[in-house]
Amino acid sequence: MRGTGYAEMVTVKINGKEITVEDNTLILDAARGAGYEIPTFCYQADLMGIGSCRMCLVEIEGQKKLQPSCVTPVLHGMSINTDSSTVQTARAGVLEFLLANHAMDCPVCDKGGECELQDMVHKHGPHKGRHAEPKFKFHEKDYTLSPVIIKNSNRCVQCMKCVRVCREVVGQNVLGALGRGDHQEPTSFFKHFMNCEMDGNCIEVCPVGCFMRLPYRYKSRPWDLKGSDTICPFCATGCRMVIEERDGALLRAKAQLGVGLNSETLCARGRFGQDFVNNPERITQPLIKRYGKLEPVTWEEAISHINVNLSGLSGEQIGGIASPRLTNEELYLFQKLMRGVLDSPNIDSSVRFSPEAVEGFVAATGMAEGGVSVYDCMDADTVFIIGTHLSDENPVIDYIVRRISAARRMNVIIASPRAMKLDSSANTVLRHNLASENAVLTTIIIGLNEGKLGEALKGMHDAQLDANLKASGLSADSVKDAVKRIAASESVAIFAGTDFLRYPEGITGLGILKDLLKSRGKKVKVMPVLDRANQRGAWEMGVHPGFGPGYTQVRKGLGTEGMLEAAMKGELEALYIAGSDVASMYPDEDFAKSALSKVKFLIVQDMFMSECARQANVVLPGASHAEKDGTFTNQEGRAQIIKKLLTAPGKAKQDINIIRAIGESFDRSFGPKHFALVLDEIRKEVPMYSEVSLAFNNKRNTENKLDNRTALIKAAEAPSISSGQFAAARAEESGARFVLATGNHLFHSGRSSRKSETLLGLLKGAVVEISDTDASELGLKNGDKVRVKGTNFEAQMTLITKKGTMRGVAFLAENFDEAPVNRYFRRGKGIPRVDIIKTI
Amino acid sequence: MMEKVLLKNLGKAGSHTIANYIAGGGYKAFTTALKMKPDNIIQMVKDSGLRGRGGAGFSTGLKWSFIPKDPTMQKFLCCNADEGEPGTFKDRGIIDHDPHMLIEGMAISSYAIGASKSYIYIRGEFVFGAERLQQAIDEAYAKGFLGKNIQGSGFDHDMFVHRGFGAYICGEETALLESIEGYRAQPRKKPPFPALAGLYGKPTVINNVETLSCIPAIIEKGPEWFSKMGPEKSPGPKIYGVSGHVKKPGLYELPMGTTAKDLIYNHCGGMLRDGKPLKAFIPGGVSAPMLTPKDIDTALDFDSLAAKGSMLGSGAVIVMDSSTCMVKMSYIINRFFSHESCGKCTPCRDGTPWLTKVLKRIEYGEGRPGDLDLLDGICDNIFGRTFCPLGDGAVMALRGALKNFREEFQYHIDHKRCMAS
Repeated sequence: MRGTGYAEMVTVKINGKEITVEDNTLILDAARGAGYEIPTFCYQADLMGIGSCRMCLVEIEGQKKLQPSCVTPVLHGMSINTDSSTVQTARAGVLEFLLANHAMDCPVCDKGGECELQDMVHKHGPHKGRHAEPKFKFHEKDYTLSPVIIKNSNRCVQCMKCVRVCREVVGQNVLGALGRGDHQEPTSFFKHFMNCEMDGNCIEVCPVGCFMRLPYRYKSRPWDLKGSDTICPFCATGCRMVIEERDGALLRAKAQLGVGLNSETLCARGRFGQDFVNNPERITQPLIKRYGKLEPVTWEEAISHINVNLSGLSGEQIGGIASPRLTNEELYLFQKLMRGVLDSPNIDSSVRFSPEAVEGFVAATGMAEGGVSVYDCMDADTVFIIGTHLSDENPVIDYIVRRISAARRMNVIIASPRAMKLDSSANTVLRHNLASENAVLTTIIIGLNEGKLGEALKGMHDAQLDANLKASGLSADSVKDAVKRIAASESVAIFAGTDFLRYPEGITGLGILKDLLKSRGKKVKVMPVLDRANQRGAWEMGVHPGFGPGYTQVRKGLGTEGMLEAAMKGELEALYIAGSDVASMYPDEDFAKSALSKVKFLIVQDMFMSECARQANVVLPGASHAEKDGTFTNQEGRAQIIKKLLTAPGKAKQDINIIRAIGESFDRSFGPKHFALVLDEIRKEVPMYSEVSLAFNNKRNTENKLDNRTALIKAAEAPSISSGQFAAARAEESGARFVLATGNHLFHSGRSSRKSETLLGLLKGAVVEISDTDASELGLKNGDKVRVKGTNFEAQMTLITKKGTMRGVAFLAENFDEAPVNRYFRRGKGIPRVDIIKTI
Repeated sequence: MMEKVLLKNLGKAGSHTIANYIAGGGYKAFTTALKMKPDNIIQMVKDSGLRGRGGAGFSTGLKWSFIPKDPTMQKFLCCNADEGEPGTFKDRGIIDHDPHMLIEGMAISSYAIGASKSYIYIRGEFVFGAERLQQAIDEAYAKGFLGKNIQGSGFDHDMFVHRGFGAYICGEETALLESIEGYRAQPRKKPPFPALAGLYGKPTVINNVETLSCIPAIIEKGPEWFSKMGPEKSPGPKIYGVSGHVKKPGLYELPMGTTAKDLIYNHCGGMLRDGKPLKAFIPGGVSAPMLTPKDIDTALDFDSLAAKGSMLGSGAVIVMDSSTCMVKMSYIINRFFSHESCGKCTPCRDGTPWLTKVLKRIEYGEGRPGDLDLLDGICDNIFGRTFCPLGDGAVMALRGALKNFREEFQYHIDHKRCMAS
């Protein structure tokens, strides 16, 4: 439990030792804080206590019965014994009961070796069992709940953590308990399993081998696994996880209780998507295009080929695009290579977003002011989420908002064109038109400017307001409600998502709202919500045409779009793409491909044969996050370490070594040689990162006293970010019914997750999502096969209908290979419009 | 014979209609109460010494006084009519034959604690009772005893019948609240107690049918009348529901503290069969430990029974003659508890079925040496460690049998047959 700092302190005696704790601390927390272990099954700090497993019973002086320490708060003067003989007998008794009907099939149980029941019986248990009756069995064979979850109820200890995590944290309410007494089983009805988000948090919290991960089944014993503590490479939430391998294959990823902001939770792609590193399609050797064909070469050949072809070019003729999934160290070296060695200002990390939008977004969200912890944001009176489909884009942030908003009194306001799971935790939902963030924010700003609230909002009928209400599609009532909540709050946290980068007009409103709230004396925190693991790090390492490392002033260069335009005109001789798939991410695939074909010398460094790589002159095989060391900066501005677990396949190299090799071919002193030395240089050169430490692992305990503010980066010294004005986003001019919204699907992140066999098994084929109203008007229903027809592209996919989504918005995720969303886009024509037609 | 209070209308034709109820002086107490200050009503109930008839015997007036006085706060009254303890059938008598007495009692209680809504959580199997209650509530609305601005007093009250979901645990007060809210009936952790955070998190009083039915009489006749009846510490009329080997089983309304001897041999006409003398009796539903003929002079009230190591519980007296096999009886009672265990906490969920399996073996002649020690051991591991009193009840019943009839269990194990038959 996080302390508020204002609670009264009380003194209690635990096992004779006097300790002082905050009033209302649970006995369990107090005892654990004082160093006394109390065993539990059903207790989990992030879930509401139910006190049902009875493992944590303790003796309180003056009370006849033993009390469950996980739901009993301390009282001043209480004297507690956590280890008396009565307590020990009770624990052994509970364990004897738990074993009575337990399957005892430990030799074939995946959990064997890391099972809490085993460990506890070993430590506290009766070493002789008295139960000699027939056992109750739920079923003979394990049953598969989903492509990733398999279940054996005979091993269940009924702690109900699975049910509670599903309800309280994930918010999906798939699991519940059926039956009574020893027939009680945490499970669900078939139709509810259809709603499962496959995040496997039920597996993670299960103390025994009841819920198990199917992809890992019978692959290894836990003691044969080698693990490394790392960061999820998908969205920018920055979840800490342990990835584990055996014989060179990554077998599983798991979260750890109390570690990282995600604690024990992960989403589907984080938990099950890491197997993309095992994909046999990985590129394993450098390739050079000769006579139109890519042929394997040695690294020396490849590097010298690059050196020869880049030598003699002026900086303006060269461009560099690096993926926001590379580490800070790699990105820092990349920009050092581009700016320092090749003398080129043309460098970018965003293929989808314009450099101006990025600069505006960085300024409006105040990224240069240093890191903001998500838990600090959750202390605010109002959390305002806008510009992101949080439940799909950053599922773990969705979990945090759900859990904390249920536990404390706060407002949650969500503005989004699409309905999302988190809406059920929101006090106000502002359902607005696509790309109308600015209008939404403007209505709120007008509302807040109407002076004192009570008399209030009566001036809200002026023309400007009406225009913005119309543009946003909001009702005046919902805006009034949001305004009332924001006005009454002392502190406001704004979660601003990537839609601001797609439709940058809203950035203006975001900046104004932030300043307005500050001028009213409110504490304001803005959290950028990003969808690539190291997007923030990429910007802060200066992989951007408008600013250098730490948002410093540099010679301005071309962004991705500018480079492609220059290539079209034949002005860009060479382009070095590290990890990005420009052809499948740039919103106009035809343009990107033909521009790339005009680049005389295209270097592509990637794990897989991407669309870009096929067009490249040199292909360099890079490494995944599991094969390298380094740091990622998440959206909060928290620099966290990733650690090497595997060796990159074949001759593939860590990206940092490839970049350095290219640099060294021009300048022998290019370096530093080791990622840790690069980080040292970053610490020196980028003051924001001066305190980033490799020792930090975000695990808070009594010894290190780390809290969630530690490891956040500092404010930049003199940021040079300009926030310009942005034109309103237009929709394409065609008669089609829907405007096309894009983003990430819940099961995917960009294209790298498409290489995960497990994730591909969760969802077959592309899906398009529209509101149920639209669907019924078109005579369509959930699950129909439809054709999504745009002006210049159409594809077949499955229809998903969503209750509450704005009418006229069709969502197509950017992740599907078979329906590349960027083919719907045409440069300069605005947001695509599509029709959805049922296929017969 | 005392003048009957609770069962006065039992067996009278048409006693459930509002016309007959009013003709018999019904709803006068409510009208009187509406002119009183709520605090004074609570004080009257406190003074009367009324203790909850559901089993725990907690002072009703005291329970009401825990409810916050803030008039802006939503409060609830719940009537626990989930009568499910084997042997108990007293509330049914009131619900079926005198529903208006309950409704009047609830209306007065709601007024006293400031509850604008009340729920009658009735056992799911009591279809007739639920229909009758609904009918009676409709009549009360029509006559203006429920609804808006009752009798011009400005007091609004709505009453609902909520049929239960078929589990014994629904009768546990916090599980009952969960059940009304639409969740799985499993007990909640206490504290917070329902008086502070009950139904939908609002202050809630939960009282038994019989308790609430005492209220109109207390208002009408005064607390002194009530407190003078029966023993000083637990006064008032009490319905004893007698079943088993007696000549005249049934419901008996007697002053609290009537002795078992008086009840069995006088009111119930003695043992059923000549030559089969009393072997044991359970004084308060199956979770109350049984007593033997040597305790026949015990007064059936809260404190006297507690002193004997048993409890009054719901006042369901089960009488057993010498033909009764204590092993079989223990097995059946235990089977009930293990079947009804809600599954929430480990000792009850996994302990009670284990007891049942061992008892079943003994009963079927498959007992093993050491089984009795095993039973004692399992009981020790359940008792006092469960989440709610269900597990404790199971253990108390078994312990009572083991204490008084251990040799009979041993005989079953040793001889693979019954001693009693």
